[in-house]
Amino acid sequence: MLAGNASAPVSKGLMLPRWLTSEHPLPWLFPSVAILLVFGLYPVLYSLWLTFFKRNPATRVEKFDPSWNWSKLVADERVWDAVQVTLTYTFTALILQLVLGMLIALLLDCDRKGFGVFRALMTLPLVVPPAVTGMMFLLMYDGSFGVISHTLYDLGIISKDAPLLANHSTALFSVILVDVWQWTPFMVLIMLAGLRALPRDPFEAAAIDGATDIQAFFKLTLPMMSKIIALAVLIRGVDLFRVFDYVKVMTDSGPGTATETLTAYAGTIYFKSANFPYASTIAIFTLLVVLIVANIFIKIFKVRF
Amino acid sequence: MEQSRTVIIARYAAAIFIIAIFVFPIFWFALTSIKPISAVFDKDGVIWFDFVPTFENYWVTLFGEASIDVNQNTRSDFGTSGGDSYDGRGSILSSIIVATGSTFLSTLVGLFAAYGLSRMSFTGSQGVLNWILSQRFLPPIAIIVPLVFIFHDMGLRDTHLGLIIAHTLINIPIAVLLLKSFIDDIPKDIDQAAMIDGATSWQVFWKIILPMSKGGLAATAVLCFIFSWTEFLLSLFLTNSIRTVPVKITTFVTSTGSEWGYISALGTSAIVPGFIFILLVQSHLVRGLTMGAIKD
Repeated sequence: MLAGNASAPVSKGLMLPRWLTSEHPLPWLFPSVAILLVFGLYPVLYSLWLTFFKRNPATRVEKFDPSWNWSKLVADERVWDAVQVTLTYTFTALILQLVLGMLIALLLDCDRKGFGVFRALMTLPLVVPPAVTGMMFLLMYDGSFGVISHTLYDLGIISKDAPLLANHSTALFSVILVDVWQWTPFMVLIMLAGLRALPRDPFEAAAIDGATDIQAFFKLTLPMMSKIIALAVLIRGVDLFRVFDYVKVMTDSGPGTATETLTAYAGTIYFKSANFPYASTIAIFTLLVVLIVANIFIKIFKVRF
Repeated sequence: MEQSRTVIIARYAAAIFIIAIFVFPIFWFALTSIKPISAVFDKDGVIWFDFVPTFENYWVTLFGEASIDVNQNTRSDFGTSGGDSYDGRGSILSSIIVATGSTFLSTLVGLFAAYGLSRMSFTGSQGVLNWILSQRFLPPIAIIVPLVFIFHDMGLRDTHLGLIIAHTLINIPIAVLLLKSFIDDIPKDIDQAAMIDGATSWQVFWKIILPMSKGGLAATAVLCFIFSWTEFLLSLFLTNSIRTVPVKITTFVTSTGSEWGYISALGTSAIVPGFIFILLVQSHLVRGLTMGAIKD
């Protein structure tokens, strides 16, 4: 049957409702949105729902008590220790990666022979699975046969009886260094992309006016790259705040709770004491912090995707 | 600006120094993988090059030969119980299936969504985009238990398909973001001209957008592949018998010690495919990573 009237174009064959045709956004967005709804949003809401149940450890029966887990969270010192560890981890790693990433990008932004190879080699850490990275550094940090430990012994920086990862004062920073090794190349790639896209004219004008390289960097390069830097900080910051793999593989939150981040603590509760409601509360708390901080950041720095 | 000879030399030296630092851990890992066990554990210090290289660790982890008995340094008959526990072939196959499947699925649905968001203006399109991207903020730990229940009910627990879907879930936001920025770069005039000539959106998508975004598609696919290949937490908790390489490798750490030879051999091998892929698309990747942030 031919559907159509004088004003609409004549179409042949079966007439579908407009929202099912390729001219409507719905069919295009449906597959992605469906996967995200079923396997992403629904589990989050489920986790949120779980936070409203009190778990009785003896009988394992869960009973509705909306404030139980949340007041427990507020009073739990281990949570606030984990917040402190997570913030230290996030900020230290982020600043190191950002500064190193920018410096290395400036260094490698060069068309001379060999720099293409350098840039390619720089991407190597990015393809190492984080679980493998953890292993790699465990091997090198080992107190008795680790190459990093031995070099530091020989240089007299650390003593033999204080293995890096087993020592309260060095464990967290040692894990952070692993993160820096793995993710600084990501920053380098982003910064290189930004540097390569900068227009040449302002720099030539500045050079004619007698500006030094350092002045040009702070007055031209940095402001022109502010958007891309903001985006990089957002992406990395969010990832750092929910770090899991390195801590799990390398220290399992130890020694004591010196490297226990929020997600690591949630993981411990999940899989060691099986208190799903409380573990969900910590996880949802982490998610809320990430969402709030990320949104404020997006607003302030006007990050556009 | 002309650079002096000293500056150029200093620049080369600095670059080589930095690269050496960043490549060293991988080099050390690869070196460990060809060391005999006696050269890995040495009480007196660290052995650098003073050893006879052996490929024994690769034979065990990549080709499934029986493990070496540490004490006698000869091939022992572990039988079926222990003999295949360091055999990484099954996990490599699983990783390939899952990473390939999830790369295909996430780039395909991501490309659909990116086209819809880039070319069709509708109320709330920015909201939909932001919502899709915000999914990347999810700590996997926040969804893992409900996801285990859902997978169990749907029969997806411990299946390759299940893991493909889980990895697609984490890849969709980045795929949509990258692909949308690549499609945004294709001049709208081209597809509008085709539409005026009577092409449907479906035809425009296949005949114009798809061929013109090939480079971006390749870069996105490589990133999705690497994210899936390296993913740990979801793979750990959504499977039992199926083990991807990152999960398998952690089982080489036992209560009696770590099998550093096998860990480094399988780990070194796991780096190779990602590095080859990333080299193939590097130019597109660098452009794609800016994700529209430098456009104005």
